[in-house]
Order: sequence, then structure tokens, then C-alpha cells
Amino acid sequence: MCKECGCGHEGGNTRLQFTVHGYTAESAQAMEKELLGLPGVLYVHIHAHDGETTVDYNPEKTKLGDILQSFSARGLEAVL
Amino acid sequence: MEIKVIKNILGENDRLAAENQAMFQDKKVFVLNFMGSPGAGKTSVLEKTMERLKDKIKMAVIEGDLFTSKDAERIDKYGVPVIQINTAGGCHLDANMVQKTVKEMNLDELDLLVVENVGNLVCPAEFPVGEDARAVVLSVTEGDDKPLKYPLMFKESEIALINKVDLAPYCNFNMDSAKQDITSLHPGIEVLEVSCTKGDGLDHWCDWLLQKVAAKKGK
Repeated sequence: MCKECGCGHEGGNTRLQFTVHGYTAESAQAMEKELLGLPGVLYVHIHAHDGETTVDYNPEKTKLGDILQSFSARGLEAVL
Repeated sequence: MEIKVIKNILGENDRLAAENQAMFQDKKVFVLNFMGSPGAGKTSVLEKTMERLKDKIKMAVIEGDLFTSKDAERIDKYGVPVIQINTAGGCHLDANMVQKTVKEMNLDELDLLVVENVGNLVCPAEFPVGEDARAVVLSVTEGDDKPLKYPLMFKESEIALINKVDLAPYCNFNMDSAKQDITSLHPGIEVLEVSCTKGDGLDHWCDWLLQKVAAKKGK
């Protein structure tokens, strides 16, 4: 986490950047909130207009499949 | 071929934290890891907490600080046992420091041990010390953007105190936004508005602590 002083987990988190089809302004906001509440997810940023989605997460705490499931549950398609 | 083995420092901390936790469980002492940035008001909240609770429960404090004993001196004025850990520049307390310090305390005589961590919104969140719960103090003068900028601290805390709310009218602090960000990061976290100078939220905070202490004693 703290890369400046070198303490904490080294590389514990992974940053994913991918495209999601089908966002509306509302669903993008709702997805940001939902993903941010998952264990180990520290950052979520979504561009609703072009679908660009960034998620910083810890694979030890939340599985990639669970993140993808969150999208499909809302009728959104994540293209990795 | 030389194979370098890098010791898993965090794994070692987790092991010692588990030892501490077992010790605190055995003694039924509720341990709070109290975190937040420098100047957020951690020690001030503790002072107000001691005013309200020191005659109701048996409490002690471990103070983490880079170099000084200024905070410990403030705690000492309340007659509550306090031990200072100086990290000599280290940005957080770890389980080993707490384990060594606790050996100087009589846990049989305690209900509540507060470990006030080094003022820092980043590193302390990575290092459990054997606590039962973590609390984070954020003050309105720091800005409402801090939860999203320092997410782990808020994800790992069971309760967040938003301090200095009496100064909110003079700060560009959006309370709704801050609370929404905190609860988004950690669904279910308790968020309290607190003022050490005006008294807002302090009774609620102390009730939260008393409930935790009672639950630990009952286990």
C-alpha cells in the first residue's frame, strides 16, 4: 500500500482496466458504489460515455469472477 | 545460483498480532486501534473519552509517536495508565511493539486498552496489532475527499469519527459526500459526527465503546 516508505503489502492489489458496454449515467454511479464496497476494492473509476472502467482490487479478498458477476447482474457486459 | 529468500515481514506481523489477540481474549480486554491523520484530534477525542469513562471502566492507553511523549503527557493528566512507544521515525505501530509494551501492563486490571497509532492515514491500516476493532478519526479541516484518497483506512475501520464538526461552517467540507464515500467504501461502518470542543457525538461514541467492552467481557 505505502510504496513511498516500502511498508505494507507489495503488489497486493491489482489494477484492472477494461471496457463495459451498456452504462447509463445512473448505472455507472451505482456500479462505482457497489464495487467500492467489495472487500479489497480500493478504487473504482468509470467513464460512462465510453465504458472505460478501472478497478483497483485485491484478488485475495475479492475474486475477479465476483467483480464480473456484479456487472452481469445489472445487465452490463465487461470486455476484458 | 543464489536464491534470495525475502522474509515475509507482514506474515510475521500477522503472527504476532494473532498472539496479541489471543492474549487480549484470554484477559477479556477490549483493544481499540485508534487511527487517523496528524491533527485529526485522536488525542483530543481520547481526553474527552477519559473524562466520561475513566470512573466507569478500567482503561489504559498506548501512545504511538515518532519522537515525542507530548500525547502521553496529555493522557497522564487524567490519571489513566499510559505507555509511550516512540517509533523513531517509523510511520506506524506494529504487533511486535505492542506485544513488548503490553508486558509492562497488568491486563488483569483492564477493561479497555486504546492503542493510539502514529498520525498517518496510510500505513497503520496495513498492520494489525491484535486489536478487536479499529476506529478512524477524520476532521472536517482535512477535507471531504480524504476517504476516497485513503480508502484502506476506512475499509478496515468499524467506526469513523468525523471530528471538529463545529468548524464545518468555516470549511469547505461536504458532510453528505464524505459520509456517502465512507459508507460506500465500507457498507455497515458506523459514522459519527463529533466535536471535542462542543461535545457533539461524544456520548454516542462512549456508548459504542462501553457496548464493545461489555461484549468482550461477556464472551
